[in-house]
Amino acid sequence: MTIGGTLICLLALAILLIAAVGVVRLPDALARQHAATKAATLAVSIFAIGIGVTAWDGQWTWRVILITVILLFAMPLASHALARAGIAELERRKDDGSTG
Amino acid sequence: MTLLMFMVMMAGIASLLGFYRLLAGPTHTDRVVALDLLFSIAVVFSLIAALASGRTVYLDVAIGLALIGFVATLAWARLIQDVVKTKRDGEIP
Repeated sequence: MTIGGTLICLLALAILLIAAVGVVRLPDALARQHAATKAATLAVSIFAIGIGVTAWDGQWTWRVILITVILLFAMPLASHALARAGIAELERRKDDGSTG
Repeated sequence: MTLLMFMVMMAGIASLLGFYRLLAGPTHTDRVVALDLLFSIAVVFSLIAALASGRTVYLDVAIGLALIGFVATLAWARLIQDVVKTKRDGEIP
C-alpha cells in the first residue's frame, strides 16, 4: 500500500467513527440522521477514493468512481425521504404526548 | 496486514455503535438511521475486503450494497410515513 492511499483511508475511517459516535450521542432522531448521513457519505466516498489511489489500476478506478457517484446521489435522496418520515413521526409523537 | 486489521477494527467499533442505536433507538426513524449507517459500514467492509484480497469482485459487491441500501432506506421511510399517518391509538395497521 502507498502512503497517500493509506492516509486517505485512515482519514475516512476516522470520519466514519465520528459519524457512529454522533449516532449514539446526539439527542434527537433528526440530529442523529444529520450525523449519520452526511458524515457517512463523506467517509465512504473518501474511503473509496483512497482505495482507488492505493490500487491505481484501471479495473479498480472506474468501479471506485461508480461507487462514489452512486453514493453521492443515492444517500441525499434516501436521507431526504427518511427525514420527512422522521418529521411526521416526531409530530405524531408530540400529538400523542407519549414518551415511549 | 496489521494495517488492514486496524482498519477492520475501526469499522467494527463503528458498527458496534450503530448496532447499539439499532437496538435501543426509541423511534422507528432512529432504527432506520442506524440501518443506513450500517449499510455504509458494510460498503467500507467490502472495500477493505477488496484491498485485502486484491480482487475487484468485492468492489462489485460494494456497488450492489450501495444500491440495495438506497432502495431499503427509501422503502422503510415510506413505510414509516404511512404507518405514522394511519395509526390509531393502540392499533397496529
